[in-house]
Amino acid sequence: MAEKIKQALIDIVGENNYTDSLIDMVSYSYDASEYSQRPSCAVWVETVEHVSDILKLANREHVPVVPRGAGTGLTGTATPLNEAIVLDMSRMNEIIKISIEDRLVIVQPGVVYADLEKALAQYGFFFPPDPASGTVCTLGGNVSTNAGGVKGAKYGTTRDYVLGLQVVIPDGRIMRTGSRTMKSVSGYDLTKLFVGSEGTLGVVTEITLKINPKTTAATTSMATFDNLEDAGRAVSQIMYSGIIPSVLEILGHDTIMAINRNTDLDLPEVDAILLAETDGYTTAETDFQMEKIIEVFKKNNAGKIKRAESEEEASDLWAARKSAYAVLSRIKTHVVLEDVTVPMTKIADLLKGIKAISEKHNIIIATYGHAGDGNLHPQFVYDGYDPKQVKSKEAASAELFQLTIDLGGTLTGEHGIGLQKAPFMTLEHDPAAMDVMRGIKRLLDPNNILNPGKMALDE
Amino acid sequence: MNKMEAKYDFERKYREQVLQCSRCGFCQAVCPVFGSTLRPALNARGKMLLLKEVMDGKIQLDDELIESLFQCTTCASCFENCPSGVNVPDIIKQVRKDMVSIGTCHPAFKGMNEVLKRHTNIYAEDDAEDFGREKNRKAEIVYFVGCVGLYREEESTEATLDLLDRLNVDYTLIDEVCCSGVLEDVGFEINEELARKNIELVFATGAKTLITGCPYCSRTFNNKPQYAELREKGVNVLHISQFLKDFDMGVKTDKKVTYHDPCDLGRHCGIYEEPREIIRKIAPNFVEMAHHHADSLCCGAGGGVRGAYAKNSLAMARRRLQEAEEIDAEVVLTECNSCIHNLSNAKLRRQKFEVYNITRFINELMENK
Repeated sequence: MAEKIKQALIDIVGENNYTDSLIDMVSYSYDASEYSQRPSCAVWVETVEHVSDILKLANREHVPVVPRGAGTGLTGTATPLNEAIVLDMSRMNEIIKISIEDRLVIVQPGVVYADLEKALAQYGFFFPPDPASGTVCTLGGNVSTNAGGVKGAKYGTTRDYVLGLQVVIPDGRIMRTGSRTMKSVSGYDLTKLFVGSEGTLGVVTEITLKINPKTTAATTSMATFDNLEDAGRAVSQIMYSGIIPSVLEILGHDTIMAINRNTDLDLPEVDAILLAETDGYTTAETDFQMEKIIEVFKKNNAGKIKRAESEEEASDLWAARKSAYAVLSRIKTHVVLEDVTVPMTKIADLLKGIKAISEKHNIIIATYGHAGDGNLHPQFVYDGYDPKQVKSKEAASAELFQLTIDLGGTLTGEHGIGLQKAPFMTLEHDPAAMDVMRGIKRLLDPNNILNPGKMALDE
Repeated sequence: MNKMEAKYDFERKYREQVLQCSRCGFCQAVCPVFGSTLRPALNARGKMLLLKEVMDGKIQLDDELIESLFQCTTCASCFENCPSGVNVPDIIKQVRKDMVSIGTCHPAFKGMNEVLKRHTNIYAEDDAEDFGREKNRKAEIVYFVGCVGLYREEESTEATLDLLDRLNVDYTLIDEVCCSGVLEDVGFEINEELARKNIELVFATGAKTLITGCPYCSRTFNNKPQYAELREKGVNVLHISQFLKDFDMGVKTDKKVTYHDPCDLGRHCGIYEEPREIIRKIAPNFVEMAHHHADSLCCGAGGGVRGAYAKNSLAMARRRLQEAEEIDAEVVLTECNSCIHNLSNAKLRRQKFEVYNITRFINELMENK
């Protein structure tokens, strides 16, 4: 990094908020994906003015800038390319305002999801997306990847809750989007354009989120299926029951086998297990909903059906689903967690296709995920130090993406494109759509300084 | 695949584990060093990434890495919460040894080893305190105080001994020297000479039970090969909280009391309930802080961090005390003099609660009865 840029950055953020020391550079080379590249420096920004001044400088000097939250993204969104400046947003972590009466909160991007959850709990409210990394991930990261979680089917993802943003655009101007109202059709929806834009269009410095009252009762049940098609049909037929479960998760056969090999949970070794939760305000209400769901399970040849009679039993039922990632992470040195999403009627087809791909390329792909919204998590388990296995993994993922698109699905339900899925963007988006996306990128960021190399925008 | 012969012991012993880190970053939620600095390079994931790059030959294990690798309290919160099961504290301890062996070490850690070559305790204090008790006599029990209790938290120790007297326990103090277990955490080995001296002193008393005030000493006596002889000859090593749990103290308080789990007692030894059993008997108004048991926050003192990175160590203690404030505790109890020392030093003037060892608190209740 040129000495004059270093000095200019120090002038903006102060010496204590600038680093190019080796330990920081190594740490900022990575996120939770398989990618890594050394940045040239990192700054801990504390104010919107810091961000604005840095972007002005970077835009003038044509230096890439990569905004970063907790670095828990799985697709390389926060991996810096081309000797970038990393903007660590995690110290802008103030909850600015909680307004229950207006049903919203205003937060800085570095607030950790769990900290907001804790702050809202005392009012009986919550911000529903509930990403798996909730204890560490930041709300800025949630916005930039449109994060979701297990409750997506009923409660949607981050995008459904972002009412407005303060964003610094690449020329350094500070812009407000959206409003602090429950509805607005005033102009283009710039807010939603920035949600899921992975730090390629601007740096989010303030977020206004809609919040929900938290339900107080839940019922949980589990059903086993000897036949994958039955499980798939059960998922899609739940919609006919008129009930939208708050959670509907599926564990595929390979995941069940891996859990049994590595824990003492002793799951029935069936083709698929479905786990459902219904939520509401009274047990009568949640039990009523669950009965409807269990009827659907039964009609579709479920083997064993178990309804939790207590919170403890419910947490036992969830143990298998919750252990999946950890169990699979311990089998080999590398894991890649995909998040392909298909229409709910195609879940069984997707699972069958994944099994075939796994067998063809002789690589472990264990699948589980959010059946309720068609978002599955095939987890690739392999030795990343073995070039042969890396090659198999790459070939298998390419086939997985093709299969997903062929089934009418999307590359990513909640993790984003990043580096990992950039080469596959054109599988899903036609040339016109790619042109429009690239045009928007050029309009806002003509010098391509913001998170370059991601989402196939700069080709 | 060609693998070069590993250059370091950490790689020989822990290569698979370091690579097992899936970089999910979930340790950021619990790492006390990250929590008080918000600097990812100091988080457990940051440390594992450095080691991965060392093994990949991208960086050298040298002075530039000290600030991260020597700044870990070995509290084991990360290990407790790691989806991939990476035992970060053990890896860090081994890496520190590797670094020391190639001449790379934080000066404070090096100093500790030097001090223990010439002195009997980590503070290089030469006048051993006897707390007005006859030492090295024949007794059923040896009470082993530990360096912090001997030279920094004397009042606490005095009170513990008074309590043991009140309970008519047949114990003796010995001319103890540092158990030197801490050296294993900071890149060195247990000092055999010191270990020998402690073993001989214990045997000379004829005691079959060794009670320690310090959970780290207890861990050292129970687990380290240098102290195997104690165990082999039937000396039962207990932490004071294990020893006291069945006594009827006959006192009670209405005060709102909370308990801080020392990492060495909790996550490292699994002792969570014994101290709580004691406290609940005397303080029915017992309330947990937001983080407790295996999720307890570290006080920031461990792993040599208090000596080497005092400012961050105090910041960690402040985060812990903040939780005591949030529940309006009047008394914060723990049973580790190191925790007492760091938490007391970090206490702000507005924080009116007291930070005590359980033993001292009980003793004071008895005194005022």
